[in-house]
Amino acid sequence: MRDPRNAATGLLVLLPFALGAALAPWLLGWIAVAPNRLLSARIAPLGATGPVAIAWTAYHAALIALPLAAWRPARAWMAEAVGVLAALALLAVVGLGASAAVPPGGLARAAPAAGAWVALLLLFLAISTGAALRGATPALPLLAVLGGAVLLGVSGLLDPLSIMREALGRGEELRQALAEHVILSFSALLLALALSIPLSALSISRHGLEAGFLSVASGLQVIPAIALFGLLIVPLAALGAAFPALREMGLGGVGPAPAVIGITAYLLLPLARGLLAGFRVAPPALVEAALGQGLSPRQILWQLRVPLGAGVVLGALRLAAVQAVGLATLAALVGGGGLGAIVLQGVGQLAADLILLGVLPVLALSLAVDAGIALLSRRLAPEE
Amino acid sequence: MIRFEGISHRYGSVQALREVSFGVPQGSLCVLLGESGSGKSTLLRTVNRLVEPSAGRVLLGGRDVAGTDPQALRRGIGYVIQSVGLFPHRSVGENIATVPRLLGWDARRIALRVEELLEMVGLDPGTYRDRLPGTLSGGQAQRVGLARALAANPPVLLMDEPFSALDPGTRRGLQAALRRIHAGSGKTILMVTHDVEEALALADRIAVMDDGRLAVEGPPLEVLGRHAPATVRRMVRAEVLAFHRLAALRAADSALPGPAPGAPVLPEGATLRDALLLMLGHGADRVALMGEAPRHVTLAALLAASGSGG
Repeated sequence: MRDPRNAATGLLVLLPFALGAALAPWLLGWIAVAPNRLLSARIAPLGATGPVAIAWTAYHAALIALPLAAWRPARAWMAEAVGVLAALALLAVVGLGASAAVPPGGLARAAPAAGAWVALLLLFLAISTGAALRGATPALPLLAVLGGAVLLGVSGLLDPLSIMREALGRGEELRQALAEHVILSFSALLLALALSIPLSALSISRHGLEAGFLSVASGLQVIPAIALFGLLIVPLAALGAAFPALREMGLGGVGPAPAVIGITAYLLLPLARGLLAGFRVAPPALVEAALGQGLSPRQILWQLRVPLGAGVVLGALRLAAVQAVGLATLAALVGGGGLGAIVLQGVGQLAADLILLGVLPVLALSLAVDAGIALLSRRLAPEE
Repeated sequence: MIRFEGISHRYGSVQALREVSFGVPQGSLCVLLGESGSGKSTLLRTVNRLVEPSAGRVLLGGRDVAGTDPQALRRGIGYVIQSVGLFPHRSVGENIATVPRLLGWDARRIALRVEELLEMVGLDPGTYRDRLPGTLSGGQAQRVGLARALAANPPVLLMDEPFSALDPGTRRGLQAALRRIHAGSGKTILMVTHDVEEALALADRIAVMDDGRLAVEGPPLEVLGRHAPATVRRMVRAEVLAFHRLAALRAADSALPGPAPGAPVLPEGATLRDALLLMLGHGADRVALMGEAPRHVTLAALLAASGSGG
């Protein structure tokens, strides 16, 4: 609802997305079928069964409703809801179409064709645009798409798709990787907070420390992630060799340790910037008045700087948390595990399904983190 | 109560204070008067150690403030600044309770004190206690600022241009409230202003600062009187000074006995400046004074009292 100047804005902006999402499957295909796992897939026609027709109709109805729902700026969220429904209907078309095209039990595999992928991408963009039109983040509706997709998957509707076959075959591995991924990103975030909160608090009144802290944090930012992880392996391996106790705690050359330390290093800059900006939301005159009443610097931090800067700090925390989830994907490169390991496997085997199987949970995780912290900051700092 | 002994202070290459020495007697309201950059604010802030002077010492009740814990020192001194500085996320009542809470008063005592203070500064407790500072006008906010400074009943109050940002009517209202509180409590108040009128309306002692030095210090009519030192005369034109000086003189002191038929009537307790303004407003050369016996003030008497007449 940021800009309700013109009611037609939403319609005009969303119309191209809806048109594109309607045309793409016609031009580039709904589903592709391969005779087995090794041969390449070809575009296949949708089966003309009843369920496919129902899902197909629902998809196109949703696409027509999408721009119309954006007509009233006060109800802009409706466009996002319709976008979510369209994306789920598209998945249903693909899933039902695949089950009609591929006989069960055979070696043949079906996957969404390029047209379906392009349509899905356009719908994601439409949802994000709809959210941007009312000044919100798209995390919640995108999360709804993923949640709906999981429900469709659980119901068995998507089972004929090759990615679901991969998922079913690797259930345990996938769960393990997801748990590792959460632990990697969460511990890096905690470590970065433990470092940047006290350093930022001390930097408020010490310009030398602030300059030093920020230049180290931005210096780390320009080292490419892979290089940093790699560079960390050498000293960590030496440390592990020198102190066997550390090695037993998992602080060797390869493994999660260099990844967690590396991710922490990247999170320092966004956290430090946000914390320092947040601590400075309280105007100097207010701090002066508080000092004059006899509040100690620590009391000024907790009673003044933290409550007034909470919105800015939570914004930085959100950015850092999403970044942590993304960076943890690279941990696999140094043997740190996580969902990146599945992606790497997929790349090694040229198996697109396996790559997706690693990437989609990363996406879901970062959307969930983003939406969670956004919700928290709306609760804690409603004036933001 | 407050003694400055040879206070000097440098900010980098700027000499903000040069060997300032004088005392503020207990119970007096002393105004530090000077142009911007004269060092008056810096001097005020040495008392609660927001500024640590490069040389010299400040004695508060006979004790060198440099030897005290700064937080404990500040909790025992009321502090009011121009921008007020109320905590925007806390209610008026919580703002006033800041120092009592730091001192660990119990909730009941704090609640009673907040109520008492709001009444003292002329705000209805029921209406204002739970409001947020953002909903207050400038004058109301500074009333709350004054109440906050008085909360723990400190013997000394420091005020840094407290009313400078307010419009004239609001400013006069707050000056009246401060005068009443000062008369009722006997607190020692040190106040910074650049407004000669305000200094004359409130002060019982005035210290004039000029380029980091103390130019002159003493009772208002001596400092800003006919024989005001060159520094003061440079700051304010003589005519303006004479006009403001009238504000420190009570009309009753220059009144002659006898009625003044047809003349405008001046309320009791008015100053000679009020008398002059009333004469100007009515084109009259005399005003009657309200009271039991008929008295009046003439223009000639007014000029004679101000020292500008002949």
